[in-house]
Amino acid sequence: MTTFNTNVQLPFQDDLGFCNVLMSAIGGDGANMAAKLLFKVCVTYLDLDGAYDAKYGSEKKGTPTDVSLRFCKFGTSVRESGPTNRPHILCIFRDALIRPLALNRGLQKNALVIANTRRSPEEIRDDLRLHSGTICCLDATRIALETNSRLNIPILVLLAKFLQIPMETLRKVVGETWPRASTANLQAFDRALGSFAQKRFEADGKYPLVPPAEPRGRIGYMNMNEGGAINATTHLNLSSSMPSASINPLPDFHAEICTHCGLCMLACSDPGAIVWDDKKMIAIDAVYCKGCMRCVEACPDTKKGKALTAPAELAVA
Amino acid sequence: MPLDTLIEKTELKKAVAAATQVTFIGSGNEVAAKAILDIGYDGEGYYPITPSCEVGEMVSRAIANGEADMSFVVGTSELAAISVVTGMAIAGGRAVDVTSSQGLMLKAEEMPAISGLGLPVVLNLATRDINAPLNIKNGHSDLMATLGWGWLTFCAPTVQAVYDLNVIAIKVAETVNLPAIVAYDGFHTSHANRRILVFARREDVRRFVGPTPPRLNLLDLEHPHTFGPYMNDDLINTKVQLDEKFKRAYDLIPEVFEAFFQLTGRRYNFVEVYGDPDAEAGLFILNSAGEASKASVDRMRAENKRVKAIIPTVLRPWPEDEMREAIGDTPRLVVAERASQYGAGNYLANELGATLQRAGKTNLLISRTYGIGGLNFRPEDGVELLNLAWHYPSITEDERKLRGYYGAWPGEPGYDPPEIFTPLTAAETTLNANQAKIDFKHLSQMPSRIAKHSACPGCGMFANLNLFMRGIDGNVVFLFNTGCGMVVTTGFPNTSFKTPYFHNLFHNGASTATGVVEMYRRFRAQGRIKDEITFIVVSGDGGDDIGMDQVIGSALRNDPFIMLEYDNKGYMNTGGQLCYTGFKGERFTNAPLGKMGQGKQQHSKDIIEILRGTNSPYLFTAAESNPRDMIAKARKAQAMVRAGNFAFGKVFSVCPLNWGAEDSKGNEIVDRAVKSCLFPLYEIENGITHLNYDPQASGRKISVQAAFELMGTAFSHLTKEQFAGLTREIQDETDRRWDRLKELATNPKL
Repeated sequence: MTTFNTNVQLPFQDDLGFCNVLMSAIGGDGANMAAKLLFKVCVTYLDLDGAYDAKYGSEKKGTPTDVSLRFCKFGTSVRESGPTNRPHILCIFRDALIRPLALNRGLQKNALVIANTRRSPEEIRDDLRLHSGTICCLDATRIALETNSRLNIPILVLLAKFLQIPMETLRKVVGETWPRASTANLQAFDRALGSFAQKRFEADGKYPLVPPAEPRGRIGYMNMNEGGAINATTHLNLSSSMPSASINPLPDFHAEICTHCGLCMLACSDPGAIVWDDKKMIAIDAVYCKGCMRCVEACPDTKKGKALTAPAELAVA
Repeated sequence: MPLDTLIEKTELKKAVAAATQVTFIGSGNEVAAKAILDIGYDGEGYYPITPSCEVGEMVSRAIANGEADMSFVVGTSELAAISVVTGMAIAGGRAVDVTSSQGLMLKAEEMPAISGLGLPVVLNLATRDINAPLNIKNGHSDLMATLGWGWLTFCAPTVQAVYDLNVIAIKVAETVNLPAIVAYDGFHTSHANRRILVFARREDVRRFVGPTPPRLNLLDLEHPHTFGPYMNDDLINTKVQLDEKFKRAYDLIPEVFEAFFQLTGRRYNFVEVYGDPDAEAGLFILNSAGEASKASVDRMRAENKRVKAIIPTVLRPWPEDEMREAIGDTPRLVVAERASQYGAGNYLANELGATLQRAGKTNLLISRTYGIGGLNFRPEDGVELLNLAWHYPSITEDERKLRGYYGAWPGEPGYDPPEIFTPLTAAETTLNANQAKIDFKHLSQMPSRIAKHSACPGCGMFANLNLFMRGIDGNVVFLFNTGCGMVVTTGFPNTSFKTPYFHNLFHNGASTATGVVEMYRRFRAQGRIKDEITFIVVSGDGGDDIGMDQVIGSALRNDPFIMLEYDNKGYMNTGGQLCYTGFKGERFTNAPLGKMGQGKQQHSKDIIEILRGTNSPYLFTAAESNPRDMIAKARKAQAMVRAGNFAFGKVFSVCPLNWGAEDSKGNEIVDRAVKSCLFPLYEIENGITHLNYDPQASGRKISVQAAFELMGTAFSHLTKEQFAGLTREIQDETDRRWDRLKELATNPKL
């Protein structure tokens, strides 16, 4: 029988005894892996129980996804299923998601926010419109890139720190789970713990508490077309809610080099991303482009070089 | 075998011995797989459907790792999978299957046959709503459809119960010779990770379940029997037999529950009552929402309200006495169901009403449909429904309806969104007509028929569509089979299609298009439609596994539409499961690598060659690496269709996500597939084969290994020494097919 560490005190508890954590990320960030690992650590080595519920649906690379963790003391009945809509702790893997997803919805007062960002806690508070709580910022992208680790590791480490999970236990499990990336991940541990900026914000009335999102669209049973048919002239996906299709950086376009051969257009997997005008390629449209770099591969290398090049800094996968 | 000898109570008692239980962390799907492995089945028939896919994936992984000895067959459809199970069971094997939603519907034909034959198989059902518009989330319309199919029905409200009821279900099923469903909530339970307890030793589970009891079977040569005869007047007697078996099951189940309790300390009953037995208000509710309702009861009782939740574990046999006792004298109950009978009383509300009526009881049942399409059910929802029962006598007339929906919304009155787009015209999309040459600059002016979508970066399907559609002029109507292509384009309330578009379920695109073009031709002849339209069915390769017969049907009838298959070598929308188009050795989530596993075991299905037998006038393959060729084929396909013919094209389509390939490398990957002859470019026009590109003749042919190198982690093992034998086999088969194709191309008579 495993010996439980019984010293863990959950930083938050609701009336049913749960501390709720929501991770907001995009498909491919490793949020699910991080949550699954943390859940395993907590219910195997600590006297905690709880629930880990992944978001529903297939996870396409690059589309927003969220992952829910709820922790309670061992012995508490775990009855609710589905993701939390009232997080005490919010982990933001991509700060560009804050606005389009309105991540402050359902966030409890005196919340803890862990954000992967280059911005300051003050800036994140204003972006998130946080009622009150602590914001902890770290550049997880840079840490992951420089330690050859993954984005999920620095965020996982900070989350574990605030949940008071013994770092040694976490190191051990991370090492066992990803043995080949062990050195890189452990470097990321140290970097994460040594490089975050933390600030507390009191309930100063600057921003209100926002209730959880409810699945209530403007179209309902009174005004929906038969069978849910969608009118393309009013509901075509032109820009949608995300101002940019991609969290990845986009290719650089050097118009002066372009010969308008069209090879990029033929390789592109996001119709609309490569903008042509009068038989000339003129731009990359950020609303459509997802930064796959297919066009960069297709672009011919002329004497002047390539008209499409990968940006200097590619985000970590 | 006479029914009365089937229940061996003494045998059952022998199994009773405390068995060590240990902690296990997993999701509902994972623990269903764990139970399957612990029980020791002879075989599993399988077909992937969200949200139950993982059950088969985990079983196949255990087989690949040498941790389980059982047969595992991936069917070409859900109906195929359950029929494989029927075959296993009629041969005397212990067999299991998993499914959800429309998967169950496709099995429907076989389901009452299995119970009619008395085959004790187990079906794990991760519930999901059945409907159009498509939804992959939780709903009980699939479960409710089964209630009259003659299957034992166990409902698992928790991850723990999924494991336990699997062990219990097979024991009951094999004792009475009835099939059993174990139903647990799709996503809410199938994807919920929890800490549970499981048997420490597999032997303990197997001792409890016991060996498969002997029954009549097809492999008994000494006692030859005819199974599945034709029957006229006698049929009613089989129904009596079925009903009798349910009575036996009703007597047996409490004993099995008790034996299981003795062994594990975990108690199950026909129905669980949580709260005050003499409550003033109650909530009758299934599965995960039932479990959540316990927290609602706690909250209500903290306010000194005497309430209870009633959560059934067994729906078939219907435990009438236990249900009536669970309701007791509670005057008012809300019967909440994740399903609706539209225009009639709901399934369980009706059944409970009849139960009460037979006992002369007058408890008031208030029926509500809730949680459809995966809407979450939280403790506050349970409080609201309990309060509905509690306050019922004093609420307004409007709220007092006895049937209704909970959690639906009317929409915003007067919502009138502005037009943001003007439909494309035939004139602005006609760029190929009278163009002998293929001029990319000219074709850059072709407006895209598809707007923004949410596919993964570098998705091959949209690269192919983007390219192919530049060769298609004029008005287009799209029909899509289920797959990534529809999921990433049509998330309500928005669409990515500038043209009319219809997604019909899974594999039905070809036949649906046939119906559409029939009406198009009729209305055109009548002068009701003036515009010329080209119909294009887009399907994944999976849609052409399960829907092969329908594609062949359209080809045989020569129905005038283009069918374009984006072949990404697997079921990618559901997470990378095996499709028969996949290459031998390709790694899938349900055909993994391991001590005993080498990925897919068969060579790729050659759909163009299968369709050759239909003598369809135009069949082709095309690749984004050869864009001029693809556009030429798009033009030709459209010309064929305009002349009244069927045209079928297969395009090689990368899946960076599930192949583990680089987003940017799609074009080069396809180029290598073509040059290795893994994907030869050719067309069959009125029976005559043309090779469109011969890499061998130009000295550019490469090895299959060189192609696999770039294709990502689903293939990269095939470049390693350890798999050299397998790669050689793929090379030989590729060369054999290529050589044959060259022969076909040299002689117009072939």
